[in-house]
Formats: sequence, structure tokens, C-alpha cells
Amino acid sequence: MAQEKSMAVPEFLSKAELIKQGAEARVYRAQFLGKPTIVKERFRKRYRHPVLDEKLTHRRTVQEVRSILRCRRAGISVPVVYFVDYTSHCIFLEDVVGSSTVRDHIASTQQSDSCKELVRLAQRVGQILSKMHDEDVIHGDLTTSNMLLRCGLEDGESELFLIDFGLSYISALPEDKGVDLYVLEKAFLSTHPNTEALFERLLKSYAASSKKSSAVLKKLDEVRLRGRKRSMVG
Amino acid sequence: MHLTHELELFPDLAVTQMLFKDVRNAAELRQCAVEGKINGALINPTMLVHPFQVLVAANKAVNLHKVGKMKTRSLNSEIIFNLLPTNNISEAFKRFGCSDGDDSVLVVLVHNKDESLLLSDITARVSGRQVPVEEVSSLTDHGKIRKLFKVTQEEEKCGTLLDAVVCRMAIKDVI
Repeated sequence: MAQEKSMAVPEFLSKAELIKQGAEARVYRAQFLGKPTIVKERFRKRYRHPVLDEKLTHRRTVQEVRSILRCRRAGISVPVVYFVDYTSHCIFLEDVVGSSTVRDHIASTQQSDSCKELVRLAQRVGQILSKMHDEDVIHGDLTTSNMLLRCGLEDGESELFLIDFGLSYISALPEDKGVDLYVLEKAFLSTHPNTEALFERLLKSYAASSKKSSAVLKKLDEVRLRGRKRSMVG
Repeated sequence: MHLTHELELFPDLAVTQMLFKDVRNAAELRQCAVEGKINGALINPTMLVHPFQVLVAANKAVNLHKVGKMKTRSLNSEIIFNLLPTNNISEAFKRFGCSDGDDSVLVVLVHNKDESLLLSDITARVSGRQVPVEEVSSLTDHGKIRKLFKVTQEEEKCGTLLDAVVCRMAIKDVI
């Protein structure tokens, strides 16, 4: 029995389609309870002490699902959590079918240079991020690859999803929010060349969407001067 | 009429749901379930948005059963417990369990896939009309569910009520 115990999920994953592997987790695609599902498995890190590894992995799994619910409560589109297995540290999430990353979208639109559409997209991103920060959720890994676009069904308006809350946490400090935006800025400008103006629009719409934004943007200026880490130690 | 779904995580198991309307002997059925004559969970369908909700609860119950981490004493009661967004067992039975005066009931059975289920045994016990499980959506008490799960209007803008409910069920143990 002890063997059978924890084998259900690993056995399931051995038949699933592996779509990505990062430093922290593997991501699979599979059918679960009849729905297209993404499974995020945080694997064991053998270089860490087993007790510490277990603790960190567990905490990150918990953190991730908590942030997801918090965002959903605020009306931010985030994949639904179907099931969490705390023994194998797997999260079963809704697969946003028919979506592409904002990264790919910007890259392909840039070539066909329909600027107007990209500006609208940047404004939407700014709005959603300010909404997320108003809920005190810090994403921790904002990149254009962690945003999905799904074409709307009726009105043609596409839906914007935030994904990968693996590094997220809850904080009300403008400092943390500023760093969150700084990380996005770095990622944005390095993946998409010549988009300084576009990012400026994003920040503008961020500023306009929230009352707390001025403190955050002030911090962002500070962070730009000194980098992401506050203390110079370590 | 019934709905059977295989559990992908436990390929030898399946979940079967049966929905009955105009039930006249809810009290008797409940007694049967307590005594173990019905090896299934009896659920109040007005608290269900969709059969998927039951699947999520059953899958989680089986998983916890296998690893020995159930919060309640049996698989069937664990299914009912998992439907609640909070961790109060008696409240789960009150809200999601079948009560004596109910006139509709959803029966959930977890069984071996190849086992020939005696569905007729259940239908014989229920004095009521069996209807397709999908009709559960027509019995849903949306107001009650919104209140119990604390679903905001904001949230329903970015997803369905079912999404909101399933999300809370799935992660209730860490909130």
C-alpha cells in the first residue's frame, strides 16, 4: 500500500505530455476529469537538504494557489485550480485553450506594425497589474511570457490571463510593487527591442488605474537607480 | 441517465452520479446511507452548479483516501466534506448532505471500473423520478451558493460560478 500511495500522480504524469521544464518545475499537458489541464510539478531538488527542500517546495505550492485565488476574487483572469496534490507538489490548472503568449503576440504584431493594437494591449496590461497590486499580490516574475492572450468569443476583445504565480507573495509595500514593475521593465525591454514608448504607455495606464500608484512609481524610479536588491549585502 | 466518469489519476476507479427528482423518501435513503446499505454519498443537488463539482470532490476524496489523509471517517463522507469551501464537517453535511425533507437527491458512487454496478439497486430504493444528471443545473440555488462560497460580482466577470466554486474547493485546506 505504501508504494501505491504516492504513485498515482507520478504515474499519471509519465503518460502526460511534457511541455516545459524550468529550474523550479516541470509543466505537463493532460486530460483531467474530462478537461484540458496543465499540471505543474515541483520536483525534488537533490542538492538541497531534504527537509528544507520539502518545506520550501510546499510553501511555494501553497503560495501559488493562494495568490491565484486572490487574483480571481479581484476579477483578474487567472487559470482555475482544479486540484492540488501536496504529496507530489503538483498543481492541476485550467488549460487556457487557444491562447498565445503576449510575448509572441507582440513579436508578430511588431513585424506587421499595427501600433494601435499594441498600445491598447499595453494599456490593458497596465490596468490589470494595478488591479493585482491593489490586492497586494506581488507576482514576482512578470514577463510577457507569463501573460496569455485568448481571442474573445463574441466581441472580438481578447482576454488577458496572468500565469505562473510560483514566485508570488502578498505585500502592501510600494517597494515590492516597484520591484515587480522593474522586473517587468527589464524583461519587456530586453525581449522586445525598441518598445520604450510602449512600456511608457503601460506605466501610464498603471498610474491612471490605481490611487496607490504614485507611491509605487516613485519607488520604481528609485529601484531603477539602484537595481532590484535593496541591501548591498549577499 | 446516470453519468459515469473515469478518474484519470486512479485508472481502475470511476465515479457514477445519478440524479433523482420528486423524491418522497429522503429520510429513509439517508438512513440507508448511514447504515451502509447504500455505499454512496447522498448530496443535495440545489447546492451543485454542475456535475464537474462532484467529480472534483470525489477525485480529491479518493486521493486523500489513498494517502491516508482524510479528514472524515469514510470516503463517502469525505466527498461531502470536500464540497464545502471551509473545514467544518458538520456544516458540510448540513449544506451538502441530503436532508430528511429534500425532494431531490444526487447519488455519488465511487467504484471499480469493471465492476458491474447495481444501479438498479439504487433506483429501487429511491421512490422518485430519475432524470439526466445534467439537469442538476436547473435545480441550482445560485444565491445560496454565492453566499456560501463568498463569490463576488467581480469574480464572476472573469469566470463562471463553477470556476469560482471549484477553485475554492480545490485549495480550501491552505486558506
